[in-house]
Amino acid sequence: MRNISHHPKTETLAEYAAGRIDEARSVVVSTHLSLCAECRLAVADFEALGGACLEDVEPVAMENSSMAAFWERAGEQDILRPKEETPRAANDFDFAAAQPLQAYLSSPIDEIKWRTVAPGVAQHVLQAQGYRQGVLRLLKISPGTQLPKHTHKADELTLILRGAYRDEIGEFRPGDLADLDDEAEHTPTAFGDEDCICLIATSAPLVFKDLVGRIVQPFVGL
Amino acid sequence: MNGVELAVVTPARPKRTGASAAAEAMSGLLLRVASSGDRSAFAELYDYFAPRVKGYLMRSGAPADLADDLAQETMLKVWRKAQLFDPQKAGASTWIFTIARNLRIDAARRAAKPALDPDDPSLLPEAEPQADLTVERAERDKKIKAAFETLPQAQHEVVRLHFIEDAPHSEIAERLGLPLGTVKSRLRLAFTKIRKELGDLDA
Repeated sequence: MRNISHHPKTETLAEYAAGRIDEARSVVVSTHLSLCAECRLAVADFEALGGACLEDVEPVAMENSSMAAFWERAGEQDILRPKEETPRAANDFDFAAAQPLQAYLSSPIDEIKWRTVAPGVAQHVLQAQGYRQGVLRLLKISPGTQLPKHTHKADELTLILRGAYRDEIGEFRPGDLADLDDEAEHTPTAFGDEDCICLIATSAPLVFKDLVGRIVQPFVGL
Repeated sequence: MNGVELAVVTPARPKRTGASAAAEAMSGLLLRVASSGDRSAFAELYDYFAPRVKGYLMRSGAPADLADDLAQETMLKVWRKAQLFDPQKAGASTWIFTIARNLRIDAARRAAKPALDPDDPSLLPEAEPQADLTVERAERDKKIKAAFETLPQAQHEVVRLHFIEDAPHSEIAERLGLPLGTVKSRLRLAFTKIRKELGDLDA
């Protein structure tokens, strides 16, 4: 299994565990988690912290606390039997096929209808706005294409699904997640033999415009 | 589920002597429910957790009746899924926290998109701990709880608000009369400290 070099920030994982982040970012984080045991462990730790906080909560009496009422409601429900755990694939994991992402793709990633937004750059917006505002999109960058320098906001997440890019920070390959600091500036260039496909969550809807004229604006929020 | 006015509440920190023993007792009760469908054991769990889950949901902005209903639903899942609970993987409080948190998110999604099947896309954090995380999970939970309890008051407070209340960090900062950066750095310090005590220096 390839070592993942770039992970979500601790705060991002803590927000995920607390159920604070929007659906778009949640999909990006959970797709990363599907192959990152290190971050899964961090999330489990933060969930335990949530459990400790739950014990501390000031109790509020239930309206109808009689157990009879509860058993009446539970009456039709079957008790679930444990199911066999399916082992995780440890090798050659295809991030584009990661389970959390599949629920958001209307077609396999190779059959997606891309919309070209600039030479060598295409995007496909996914619907993930059920829980709070956020926009989820796939971006495809041809090898050799360099995006203009742009800044990031702190609540934007980029996960590499296929291919690779490099920027001032380093090289990003499948599984790597860029959780950049606010105002971080970078100039990513896709490299390698295949298109670089990224899954990107941003906090607000963005409109990509032609590169002609406004060069930086379209890429704010990549 | 946001936008609800929440008063500034700064309860006295409860004495936590024996809290850990209580947590272990809860796991024991859950195991009795799992092994034999023990209804009296479940009733004890219900008495302890249902009002806390309701309190959590109300603090996160749910109206009392919705919080009551979701707390019931949480306990219903605890009953139904008791056999999936493994004390080696997580403490009872952790497990129940994740169930309540997911129901809270489901409810918010239903409110936003009534037609959506809340059980359909699996975007939510998983309620059941992963198989690869079983190693010393219960031990880690205990250490985390102990580390949480010994945090400096200022950090303890923001961590509690982070997990229990759903208000944005900016709103929490406003209520505490602190700059947003201070709230964020306190959280970061607390999270790093807690994970360091577990030996994950690279976290």
